[in-house]
Amino acid sequence: MAVILLALMVAAVGCGGGDQQVAEDAIKIGIQGPMSGPMALEGQGFLKAAQLLADQINEQGGLLGREIVIVPGDDKSDPKESALVAQKMISSNVVAVIGSYSSTATEPAANIYHEAGILHITPSSTATPLSEKGFERFFRTCFLDDRQGLFAAQFAVDTLGLSKVALIHDNTTYAKGLADWTRIYLEENGATVVYYDAITPGEKDFSPVLTNVKGVAPELIYFTGYFSDGGLLVRQARELGIECLIMGGNAMNNSDLVKNAGLQYAQGVLVTTEPVPTDLPYAEAQQFIADFEAAYGTPPQSIWTLSGADALRVVVEAIAQTGSDDPAVLAEYLHNEMGDFPGITGPITFDEKGDRLGTIHKAYEVDAEGNFVPYEG
Amino acid sequence: MQEFLQQLVNGLTMGSVYALVALGYTMVYGILKLINFAHGELFMLGGFFGLTWLTASAFSGLLKSPLLGLLVLFLLVMAMVAVIGVLLDRVAYKPLRRSPRLTAVVSALGASIFLQNAVMLVFGSGYLVFPDVARDIYWMVGGVKITLMRVIIFLVAVCFMVGLYLLVQKTQLGAAMRAASLDHDTSRLMGIDVDKIIMLVFVIGPALGAAAGLMVGLYYRQINFAMGWTYGIRAFTAAIMGGIGNIPGAMIGGLLLGIIETLGAGYISATWKDAISFAILIFILIWRPTGLLGERVADKV
Repeated sequence: MAVILLALMVAAVGCGGGDQQVAEDAIKIGIQGPMSGPMALEGQGFLKAAQLLADQINEQGGLLGREIVIVPGDDKSDPKESALVAQKMISSNVVAVIGSYSSTATEPAANIYHEAGILHITPSSTATPLSEKGFERFFRTCFLDDRQGLFAAQFAVDTLGLSKVALIHDNTTYAKGLADWTRIYLEENGATVVYYDAITPGEKDFSPVLTNVKGVAPELIYFTGYFSDGGLLVRQARELGIECLIMGGNAMNNSDLVKNAGLQYAQGVLVTTEPVPTDLPYAEAQQFIADFEAAYGTPPQSIWTLSGADALRVVVEAIAQTGSDDPAVLAEYLHNEMGDFPGITGPITFDEKGDRLGTIHKAYEVDAEGNFVPYEG
Repeated sequence: MQEFLQQLVNGLTMGSVYALVALGYTMVYGILKLINFAHGELFMLGGFFGLTWLTASAFSGLLKSPLLGLLVLFLLVMAMVAVIGVLLDRVAYKPLRRSPRLTAVVSALGASIFLQNAVMLVFGSGYLVFPDVARDIYWMVGGVKITLMRVIIFLVAVCFMVGLYLLVQKTQLGAAMRAASLDHDTSRLMGIDVDKIIMLVFVIGPALGAAAGLMVGLYYRQINFAMGWTYGIRAFTAAIMGGIGNIPGAMIGGLLLGIIETLGAGYISATWKDAISFAILIFILIWRPTGLLGERVADKV
């Protein structure tokens, strides 16, 4: 029902933007994302978060005394639709656009927003090339895979106090990238990578690799591939008598990992991943989650909803601090002046490419019942 | 040394599975000169039927005696897949017996895609997990860990291979099979029912493939509708390596491929494992174009 209502809302706003009673000087912010289709939950999460924050600000007299108006656009996470939504956003005179969800949908829109000179923030598109184009007004409130590598390395060295790490990936772009970044940061942090190699996904016998790993006796195995292979890897490692800690990347964060490995083997396995919204330690996060639940009846389902809220908060902060709605001024502020802005997902600082510094990742551990629980040490 | 021996044990397990599956390719090729691309799917079906029986409530009573339970399970699964193998021949290959060879190969690819998708629709596209059958039983021999399941896989594979070898070399039926693989028409003139021999091949090959699929499920505990491809392509390589059409060749090729893979992964690089295996395959084929034990065949395709 909520979905239908929201869809109607989107349709109403989408078709009849001109009919709405919008104050002449309203600050319009576009929310682009998949509002329908299989990923609708994510796009609607952006929209709900933004609408909630906008309503809160408007109730308190608005931003710079002006009303914030949210302009939704449904791109169905499709690159072709995305370009159309971007054109529509530009003709609605938005100051900034938040979106889209997937990197494939964000990419075409980013080009169009760049040409139109609009501030563009994606809460969830992590593909590295997006920020390699030199677009000055493109930002992200999500963290790229190198940040997970940084977290994994720091967690292994500082929290676990380990120094001999075996890295195993599966030769996919994502897993290899994560393994490579982890290797760089491990070495920066003074740890040694004693083993680095790949398994073939879908193959069931990883004992050749694991026999080698056993030979170099690491203190930690970090596997950056997917849970289906990871489960077997964990089991076979234990069967070969490898006793060291085993940690996985965020693609291992799946309850099927426990099924594939068997509970007695999966227990104690660690994963580095984006935290569940309710596990965020920040006061801003608790406040937002409570407000969200009060407004919509359920807490936010996805971490990207919170990242979307942060994108809006960043835009609002930039407008409030600079007293301007000129995207050029706002981008300048976000790049150079804003530092450690207290975000829902942690302190927000952007680098020169518009990517976010720091990490959001957290370590989870498989407990005796096979659930992923925050690592307590 | 200890590591080398452990890798050898790893390689023999994988090699046994490859060899069992390779037998199916090589037998069909021997008789029909057809590469049965759907054979990997028959192997995969072995895993799925095995899981279905294992989780069926009616079966759990039998498992109280694990040995008897496993024996019945193997026989059931092999019989079911053998029926599918014969059906596959009837539907996809028999109507094309007199057509150009390429037509049958295309039909084989179609059958492979059909079976894969049928299994995906029935069982879903995720990974299914086998219950734990063989508990953690193992022996340490000189620092090398050998689990019971590895021994079972190896022994079952060797038994099947020896049995098949004896059947083909020492019995009258085997003589008929060898004759049919040389020349269908002459065999018919000698009173051999070639159609029956072909049917027999489509019983034995799929049954062995199913046994391999079931063992993979039991040992690795994880099956997926697409797994036939991963194993099929390796087993096919093993069959070529040993000399396609030659039964002992498939066995040797399978074991050899398993060992090359593990040693390549263990001592050179796991990332380059497949590249190493295929480079060795190419060298073998340059040295002996018909494979290790392959006989010279006048004008192939």
